[in-house]
Amino acid sequence: MPSATVGQTPSLSTYLKSLKHNDIETSIELFISLLKRRQIKNSRPCAIATISLLLRVVGEARTRDAQQLIERIRAVGRRLVAAQPREMAVGNIVRRVLENVREVAERDQDAADGGSEGSTSIPSTPIRGETMRRPAFPTKFSEFSPLHGAATIPQDMHARAPLATSGDSSPAFGGTMEAALQRPPLVSSNTSYAGQGPAASSLFSILQHPQGRSPYATPPTGTQSPALKASPFKGDEGQTSASEKLDIKAEVITSIQDLQKELEEVDDEISEFAQDHIHNNEVILTHTSSQTVQRFLMKAASKKRKFTVFHAEAYPNDHLETHATIVNGGGATAEDADERWKPLTSMGITVILIPDSAVFALMSRINKVILAPHTVLANGSLIAAAGASTIAQAAKTHRVPVVVLSGVFKLSPVYPFDTDELIEYGDPGKVVPFQDGEFMDKVDVVNPVYDFVDAELIDLYITNLGGHAPSYLYRIVADHYRVEDIDLSGKAEGGAVKAG
Amino acid sequence: MSEPAKAPEPTKPAEEAKISPAELKKRAKAEKQARRAAQKGDQGDAEAPPAPFTNGVPEEQQAQKQSGPQDSKPKGGQTKSQQQQKQGKPGAQEGKHERRGSQAQPLAMRPKVVQTAPPKEEARKNSKQVELFSHLYTQPRRHDISGATKDVHPAIVALGFQMSSYEICGSSARCVALLVAFKEVIQAYTTPSATSLARNLTSHYLSPQIDFLKSCRPISESMGNAIRWLKKLIAEIDPSTPEQEAKDYLCDEIDRFIRERITVTDQAIASLASGLIKNGSVILTYAKSSIVEKTILQAYANGTRFRVIVVDSRPLFEGKSLATSLMRSGLEVEYLPFSGITHAVKSATLVLLGAHSMLSNGRLQSRVGTAALAMQAHKADIPVIVCCESVKFSGKVALDSIVLNEVAPPEELLPPRVAPSQPPTTDRKDEGDDEESKVKTLHDWQDIAGLQILNLMYDVTPAEYIRMVICEYGNVPPSSVPVVHRLANESM
Repeated sequence: MPSATVGQTPSLSTYLKSLKHNDIETSIELFISLLKRRQIKNSRPCAIATISLLLRVVGEARTRDAQQLIERIRAVGRRLVAAQPREMAVGNIVRRVLENVREVAERDQDAADGGSEGSTSIPSTPIRGETMRRPAFPTKFSEFSPLHGAATIPQDMHARAPLATSGDSSPAFGGTMEAALQRPPLVSSNTSYAGQGPAASSLFSILQHPQGRSPYATPPTGTQSPALKASPFKGDEGQTSASEKLDIKAEVITSIQDLQKELEEVDDEISEFAQDHIHNNEVILTHTSSQTVQRFLMKAASKKRKFTVFHAEAYPNDHLETHATIVNGGGATAEDADERWKPLTSMGITVILIPDSAVFALMSRINKVILAPHTVLANGSLIAAAGASTIAQAAKTHRVPVVVLSGVFKLSPVYPFDTDELIEYGDPGKVVPFQDGEFMDKVDVVNPVYDFVDAELIDLYITNLGGHAPSYLYRIVADHYRVEDIDLSGKAEGGAVKAG
Repeated sequence: MSEPAKAPEPTKPAEEAKISPAELKKRAKAEKQARRAAQKGDQGDAEAPPAPFTNGVPEEQQAQKQSGPQDSKPKGGQTKSQQQQKQGKPGAQEGKHERRGSQAQPLAMRPKVVQTAPPKEEARKNSKQVELFSHLYTQPRRHDISGATKDVHPAIVALGFQMSSYEICGSSARCVALLVAFKEVIQAYTTPSATSLARNLTSHYLSPQIDFLKSCRPISESMGNAIRWLKKLIAEIDPSTPEQEAKDYLCDEIDRFIRERITVTDQAIASLASGLIKNGSVILTYAKSSIVEKTILQAYANGTRFRVIVVDSRPLFEGKSLATSLMRSGLEVEYLPFSGITHAVKSATLVLLGAHSMLSNGRLQSRVGTAALAMQAHKADIPVIVCCESVKFSGKVALDSIVLNEVAPPEELLPPRVAPSQPPTTDRKDEGDDEESKVKTLHDWQDIAGLQILNLMYDVTPAEYIRMVICEYGNVPPSSVPVVHRLANESM
């Protein structure tokens, strides 16, 4: 069924095309089967397919309730992740979207809470008190990912336009000030949480404030002053919540589109850091074919830096792609070549193709190793094409810095408790052809696709947010994913949003 | 004409001063050849002299230019590039000189169109050579007998081609094959009058044979040791010995050498090393070493039950033949590509490696990739044991894999041309040349400026990764390599 809808060899592009006219369940099934058949593989295609699918899932969701939306996305995400657990980009994107939904929901929730609190002025449950504290969270995301904050806020502002009062829009106040100013009525209203709640809030704000939060991002943090808001919405609360819930979907869609945009631009953003890291006459070793690395090197080359690139070919899984990247700058298939790739050699850079086995021999003359991961794990270690571990280890032995270029979308909240579990084994026919019957029959031919590279072998991560030490990555994980979403298979839901 | 030859002189760095007289001589020779060619040339009298001239001199300038960027582009550090230049320069020039010599003669007879082509080709060839290894690109491997001296014995010719095509591959195999061929060569030798076998055989008869072999593929350390031993043996023959007697003596000695230094030694090493393999061991090995194969088979024949993991690499896939032979003997074999090293190391309990040669600073020179495997095994605390006959022990030392190495033809690394996915692209290429001409394959690498392919043969494994070396003198640490080398190869 799903395969019948696709005329040519299924791939990312055919899937994206089919997404437009297939209904949602077919699309999900199709994506699952493509994942299972490895017809969509590697982080970026998986991420793009996931985000496009989720956009449709959200777009077609009939619910206006954030919680139901979350449930829906989680359900879809669970199936996708189960289809191919080692394509962690899928799970990452699902979690990012969930994070966005929660952020939006909390903001609205908060607004609603503010309204209800003001109107009823009776602390209904302790949960209310907790949700009052929450608003400090959402903005921290927008700080680190300016793209998000910048793009979601106008929408946000627009949605809030009727709610906004003079108190809200005063951008001069930081969270601390506002909290301090605006808490007192709250203290009086729910006494049991009086000491705890605001204190936590202001502590968060203290951490947040100095990092240059956009002044426009403050209003949600400020938590619409209950006193101010109470009057306009006292009467028609039902209507307010309806309009807010309408906004939830729109906002989520906008945030997903932002995420999509981020995926498109991630390579460019990473390549912006190229000139900070590559100088003239450098000898760089890279491994397998990666558009991120390719762009990064191209950017450095375009800045008139002359360097030499040793390119290990990653036989037997990626060597043809690697050759194509070296020769044409793009992918191995003719389809990919339609995009206007340019090889590094056209920029006057010397590119030397080497088999993987020569890595150790050459490492003493390499200045920098640049790797592209398949997935980055929360503790700073990574999963990359097989052979990467040997390269990183050889680099460590020769004291050569290892730089990893990775979009944030590859950053997974998974912690490598069992590294063997993360490794995928590929087609042994790539190592020895199946025509070789006797050999294939009697010899155990193994073809690992990925390698686990420990964090200690890596010196620097460059993401679209900037350069980070491997030890800092957990922080970025914390910024991009909610704890509730880390285990997608779990049924437990974030209690805070339940009330919305 | 002498001016352009002298002109580049002052620009040269001081360190090259010592070779400049020889260079001048070469240049003079080239000029003389050019002049002679000009006189011979019937057509285009006016153009002929400048053509060889451009053929000769810009090459020199090119050589300097080539060394220029080398200077200005220190890769690892300045000392390294200087060192590389020192070592690289004479070799490269020798190669160049030879090539020019062979070019200049046919050039004179060819039409002038062809005369302008060689420098370009030369330049292109140079641009395809990895600068870091320029000292290793002496001359392309010989695959035919053109230009070989008539003295080369057919057995040697056959051996040379077998070596250049990897039909005979591996340090010991090449050494044995060389000695066997030399037996034939020696039997075919007749001492010219007015000289003796001891004086004439080595210098006038064996040397061209060895040179021919070198032109097919650089000779290995074991071959070097065997040749040194043979030369010494020949020199020690009493000139009064009758020719046939001397020849028979040499052949017997060669047989003895093969038996003592390789055949019996291999058995001794195999029985020593097979004792290290226990029931349930997982032996990890890389590529193919005949002695490791013997060890494994002997251990298996002794009734030990264990598993073998063979890691292999492009382009030679030697490990596959090892895996095949072990599999046929009934062993449980796992086969992994090079990228699977980390996976292989996880389950291994012992790493057995063969050697191309053991260097005097305890380092192991072996098939490229060995060092990475040894490193990973060392990190995983798996003992790395090298099996190596003393004939492969070398007096040379090396710190890295750059200086002492061999560069194989880069074409070996090209993927097989008839890939199932490629025909459509080539078809389309025919249809729309303009659009599809952008899509190239690696097979076009010669036409892509700046693209180079490096196909190294060996790498050097640091001594600290090697737990033990097993040779016929017993199990020794890598630090004992120079001692064994003196004992085995220099005392004879």
